[in-house]
Amino acid sequence: MKEVRDLQQKYVDGSINRRDFIKAVGALGIAVSAAGSLLKATDVMAKTPKKGGSVRMASNLHGPDDQMDPIVMTSNVDYTRAHTNYNGLVQMRDNMVVSPELAEEFSPNSNATEWTFKLRKGVKFHDGSSLTADDVLWSMNRHLGEKSPSVIKGFFSQVKEWKKMDSHTVKAVLNSPDSDLPAKLTEKQAKIVKEGTTDFKKGNGTGPYRMTSFEPGVKSMHVRNEDYWRETGNFDAIELTAITDPQARVNALIAGDMHMISDVDAKMIKLIESSNGVSVNSTKSGRYGGICILNNTAPGNNPDFVKGMQLIQDRERIVRSILKGKGEVGNDHPISTAYGADHCYELPQRQYDPEKAKYHLKKSGISSAELFVAEVATGIGDSCLLMQNNLRKIGFDLKIKKVPTDGYWGAVWMKEPLNVVSWNMRPTANSMLDIQFAPGAAWNDTFWNNERMGKLLKMNLAETNPAIRHEMFCEMQALVSMFSGMVIAYHTNVNDGVSDKIHGIPVNPLGSIGGCTWPEFAWMEA
Amino acid sequence: MLFQAVLKRILIGFATLFVVSIIIFLGTSLLPGDVAEIILGQMATPESLAALREKLGMNHPPHTRYLLWLGNLLSGDLGMSKAGSGAGTIGTEISVMIAPRLVNTLRLAGMVALISIPLAMSLGLLASMYPGSRIDRTITFTTLSIISIPDFLVAMILVMIFAVQLGWLPSIAYMSGNETGWQLIRALLMPTLTLVTIVSAQIIRMTRATILNIMSSPYIEMAILKGVPRKRIILRHSLLNTIGPIVNVIALNLAWLIGGVVIVETVFAYPGLAKLMIDGVQTRDLPLVQACAMIFCGTYVVLIMIADMASIISNPRLRHPK
Amino acid sequence: MSIDEKIKEKITSFEELPDAPPRRKIRFSIGGKIGIFFVFFWIVMVFIGPYVSPYNEADILDESLFIVPGGEEYPDTDYQPPSKVAFLGTDYLGRDTLSRILYGARTTIGISFLATLLAYLLGVTLGIAAAVGSEWLDMFLSRFNDAFLSIPTIMMGLVVIAAVGSTIPILIGMTGLIYATSVFRVARSLGQDVMVSDFVEAAKVRGEGLWWIITREILPNVVMPLATDFGLRFVWIILFISSLSFLGLGVQPPMSDWGSMVKENLGGLPYGSISPLMPSLAIATLTIAINLIVDDISAHSGGKLSNRMI
Repeated sequence: MKEVRDLQQKYVDGSINRRDFIKAVGALGIAVSAAGSLLKATDVMAKTPKKGGSVRMASNLHGPDDQMDPIVMTSNVDYTRAHTNYNGLVQMRDNMVVSPELAEEFSPNSNATEWTFKLRKGVKFHDGSSLTADDVLWSMNRHLGEKSPSVIKGFFSQVKEWKKMDSHTVKAVLNSPDSDLPAKLTEKQAKIVKEGTTDFKKGNGTGPYRMTSFEPGVKSMHVRNEDYWRETGNFDAIELTAITDPQARVNALIAGDMHMISDVDAKMIKLIESSNGVSVNSTKSGRYGGICILNNTAPGNNPDFVKGMQLIQDRERIVRSILKGKGEVGNDHPISTAYGADHCYELPQRQYDPEKAKYHLKKSGISSAELFVAEVATGIGDSCLLMQNNLRKIGFDLKIKKVPTDGYWGAVWMKEPLNVVSWNMRPTANSMLDIQFAPGAAWNDTFWNNERMGKLLKMNLAETNPAIRHEMFCEMQALVSMFSGMVIAYHTNVNDGVSDKIHGIPVNPLGSIGGCTWPEFAWMEA
Repeated sequence: MLFQAVLKRILIGFATLFVVSIIIFLGTSLLPGDVAEIILGQMATPESLAALREKLGMNHPPHTRYLLWLGNLLSGDLGMSKAGSGAGTIGTEISVMIAPRLVNTLRLAGMVALISIPLAMSLGLLASMYPGSRIDRTITFTTLSIISIPDFLVAMILVMIFAVQLGWLPSIAYMSGNETGWQLIRALLMPTLTLVTIVSAQIIRMTRATILNIMSSPYIEMAILKGVPRKRIILRHSLLNTIGPIVNVIALNLAWLIGGVVIVETVFAYPGLAKLMIDGVQTRDLPLVQACAMIFCGTYVVLIMIADMASIISNPRLRHPK
Repeated sequence: MSIDEKIKEKITSFEELPDAPPRRKIRFSIGGKIGIFFVFFWIVMVFIGPYVSPYNEADILDESLFIVPGGEEYPDTDYQPPSKVAFLGTDYLGRDTLSRILYGARTTIGISFLATLLAYLLGVTLGIAAAVGSEWLDMFLSRFNDAFLSIPTIMMGLVVIAAVGSTIPILIGMTGLIYATSVFRVARSLGQDVMVSDFVEAAKVRGEGLWWIITREILPNVVMPLATDFGLRFVWIILFISSLSFLGLGVQPPMSDWGSMVKENLGGLPYGSISPLMPSLAIATLTIAINLIVDDISAHSGGKLSNRMI
């Protein structure tokens, strides 16, 4: 119901009034009573945010390597700090709409090979200096070049250069068309920092909160930036920490020690829902945990083996009993229904079929394999055990080797023939497919190099006709599902625990608690 | 004579510390995956790895790195952690990171020791005064049960009761940093309670066993035969002789409270030193791991040294063992 | 009872010794008898557990088993209370708790026993060597041992497993090594005490050789305390391995061991599930039983025991 959400947004923004809202909702064929409850829900959204209050949030992971340098951030607690302290050129508002932030306006040339960003004037960093094109240029250039340590430099591989047009205008010149560039710039790693920063621990940005203390692996404290350039940033103070033990995290929420916690284990949803004053904020997402079967080595070079592994996934049961319904079945490609129109509804859903799986595995001549598992994604360990159990029933011996999550990405992922992976949702379907499946891509984690896939990815970026674009997306999803060697049995929602006193968390499936963008928009009931 | 024995014990302590430093340095070098790989995680590429490795100064041979590290350590420089460094910029001084964690650890260990040592020793004494009695049986069975339950389960059960159900205490030991007096104690109560339960059970068992043991030595039997009342024997004759072993027990438990409480720190999200070291292992922050390990081992060596001196003083035969 | 027999056997060999301390007959208290019963029970389970268990430890039970007339088509299978389908209920993944405990007996007790054995082999050999050997040997061994002993065990476990991975042989080897350090301390100090005792000094004066002193005086006098210590050390090792499982290290799934079972089902505690308590009860019955036996033995042995059990 995208229309309804748009209407809600308009109502919240104040561009339509109550009567218009009900009328418009009625026009969509929704009963008046339902419209009333919608309005009520929308009223909560529209309640003028209250200023004040001190909020505490606990993420799932932190450590001495917590970062305040945006380009190397990799954890939820880092991302949340990115949103307290920094701004981007553009940002992802509710429902995945790219909106202006530090750039008042942004526009492409006719074929999307150049993007121009006009910067807002009068924006100040926390140290009092003003934001200029030089800061943007410096921040953006850190993502360019072979030697860049940026974790998202792959997003900007087609950027030829960033050009300063005048003191408040910059232009990105691209090698090939990219209509997704603004969406990629909404990533947390693309936040704007002060030119020439060497000590990032101070968190000197333009964001809604200043940092008063930062202890990596312990906590950080933030207070409202009174000179902020817009009227958001509602809390007086924010404390960000992490509680690594999942059970302890939930206990802390229920006992009232924390107002928000990220990454609620599916098994504990019922517990939170039955407790007073707290609830689960579950957002449909493209996040998934999957199994990578490497194409360039045995047994993954045997197509029958891959087929067997895909057919043995009891997808319905995974979503039902492991995710407790907070997710959706996967179709062995990363584009879930959360990507909206870019999801391929036409592609038939792969079903659990032990007989067929047995047939294919027998045909492959393989009777045992070893799968490396680390708890990198919600439900991945459990779903692998379910798979092992089902394989045992058809006479296939799957050995599971459980390894610690630390060091997993360096030692196991993309190295062992069978391993597990987790991918967060990306801002666009194209960037998701590109980062994982472009031929020769750095993180092509099944080593599946398909020329047609590469062509489609490029053509898709330059294509403007939505119908043709969708067709291309469908072909890509079918290709991945058939040939890539990925097993994606499920997509999980983003599940967070939130105190009932907290309102206004944006709807954003790209990360925990409103894609970690809550610090600027959420507010607290007194 | 006594002075020589004590001096020898101190020299032994230093020798041990030297061996410790070698073991720690070698042990941490065995960890697979280097700092650079860990920082970049899922997003590492060969180029970004090489760039970061160079910037972190990881290209020296191991023995050079050991000597450099030991030299710095001796001059009181614990080195730099990559914490909060970002790409290609300065990290954090380890001493700055460790200081608040050490304070937290000592604070918790202090509170636990303050409660559990007197409590546990009196209960242990009580149990040994009346062996086989109902009091002794109750104490023995309770302590045995507590020892036999994995400590994370003990912690979780206490949280379920006192924080989630009754709502008396906070479920985690989270501190904003501005707590004083009662607020501070309240924040620490849950982990303290858990640790007191675990540590007391250990000390009670050991105290009881030690005293019963001494009670069966010939000179006590003699006293019993002479008709001295049991209570008097324990308090007058055997207590003095139990000082050596019991000081050892206390020293070991204190050392454990400093370096072994990682599970309790995890369950209560308490920012102590043990958790810092685990985080260091997981993020391959080798200088940090080495510094923490040296602190733990140093504490242990010193505590045991003190306990051994107590034994030397109380048992003259140990002054010249061979 | 193996410990019992061993002790009796050693006690008879005491009789040849001219100056060895007197022996006493062990009479077990009620607690001790209960202890013997449980130890015996679990030893039997190590051998027959998998054959008497209702399901395989890896079986994730089908939803159809839990359908009640008129209930949901796809009922929950996790954290189910005890029923005819699963006598002790199910775990977080819908596996039968009883079967996993019975299978787990073999893994848990097997690993811990082998690790304890290894710890003893290393610790006693080196400990006695240090006690009777030259001052330099003692110095060398003791310093290395002290150094290892000073590293918190759980940290050492974590580093080792991070470095070489978690398989059963590594788990046994590592735990054995870690605990060999404390066995070394016990063995060395027991050996030293015997070395300074009157009867050894007398033997030395008589001009007996070193080997004679080790085999005739030291070993017989330390066997009893060491046997008791073995029981306690075994208990520590079970608990140590369960602590490791809290940090996510231990046997590979779907194998079950008691410590990991407690950890993986902790989430069921708030729902009132008994799945984390049952394996914990299994650990408790075994460890308490061993302790009760040890208590009886040490109360009757008259040797220097408990102050070394550290």
